[in-house]
Amino acid sequence: MRFPSILSLALVAASPLAGQQRFTGRIATVVESLGVAAAARGLPVDPVIEKAIEGSAKGIPAERVTTALRVVVDQLDTAAASLRTGGISGDTIAIAAGEFAITAGLHGRDITELARTGRPAADVTVGLRVAGTLAALGVPPVESVKLVSAELRLGRPPADLLALPGRVETEVAHGATPAQAAAGLTRAAAGQAGGQGAPGGPAGPGGPHHGPPPGKSGEPPPHPPHP
Amino acid sequence: MNEREFHPDVKRLLDGEITIPDLPLELRAEGEEALRLLAAVDRSPVATPAVTWRVMAALERRRPRVRWPWLLVPALAMAAALVLWIIRPSAVGPSAGSNVVTVRFVLVAPGARHVTLAGTFNHWDPRATPLVRSGAGDLWTATLSLHPGQHQYAFVVDGTRWVPDPSAPAVDDGFGRRNSVLTL
Repeated sequence: MRFPSILSLALVAASPLAGQQRFTGRIATVVESLGVAAAARGLPVDPVIEKAIEGSAKGIPAERVTTALRVVVDQLDTAAASLRTGGISGDTIAIAAGEFAITAGLHGRDITELARTGRPAADVTVGLRVAGTLAALGVPPVESVKLVSAELRLGRPPADLLALPGRVETEVAHGATPAQAAAGLTRAAAGQAGGQGAPGGPAGPGGPHHGPPPGKSGEPPPHPPHP
Repeated sequence: MNEREFHPDVKRLLDGEITIPDLPLELRAEGEEALRLLAAVDRSPVATPAVTWRVMAALERRRPRVRWPWLLVPALAMAAALVLWIIRPSAVGPSAGSNVVTVRFVLVAPGARHVTLAGTFNHWDPRATPLVRSGAGDLWTATLSLHPGQHQYAFVVDGTRWVPDPSAPAVDDGFGRRNSVLTL
């Protein structure tokens, strides 16, 4: 995992993007500096590069882009440490997913909790993305983690995890708050884990047709390419 | 539920996740109408259309008419506000035999001259992915094949205004704005 990241960094160091005015030489210098240090710690550098490109594309002043880049690196460090505590080390894709989850409002302890579900790193990666997406939908981080953690412990495939935000949105459309929707789904998962059989959907205003969507054919692979 | 949005089950129908018989009886008429209207406005080759018609209908009702010059300023202000009437990207489904998911992005942007899409999937290049104007002229669409994963994006209106999708999850972009989130 580290080689492609370093390769990306090398490309930045050569400044082709700066040459194309994707970002200024000043930002390229900061990216190179932060990226080399991050790569040395086993962190992915793609999120740093992408954030620099994003800031430049949006016309953000270099000073502010630099600040944002440092935040990204800090979040990558937090994500890596939290995953390591949970038993997952050296997976840059999972670290990047953890960084996104932190951006969405999760904490390091939340990442650790998901990592401790005992699922493969690829599944935890999807779980982190979904938990972050749920948080971005307005589900409190603690509820997001409870739900995703419960689903991971049930051994749900990534496709089922990816369906969770849609299921929460459905419940919200029927009057539940995001927290209520997530809590209902968590209870449903807990019921299944307890051997009570599938209880249907979450408690709340939704009717029986608001349950999980039917499975899709040709679901995406469990471990997508690096974002 | 916001009046510009479909019932979630109808959205699932339009996204190809379910079929008409899967809908509750009380929603079947709405689902059939949505499919019929979208077939009328959507000429792109993707089989299952995205969510658009109710937004278009609402905009038709609310669009300001510029009859007098002094009405131009409030009309433009309203048009700018209506740019925020964006429909979430519609995941049409995985492409056969490949690790990509076809996603349709739809933006309603009255008065816009051009609209593009920038995000992690095109290295935030605001020129790389133009949306195509369709329908009555306020509707802009783009259909992309994206790798499964987590993407962030925003619409770029007239090359200068970065507009997140208000009906999609969003996160802080680190610059004081919001990025829409798409998790596939």
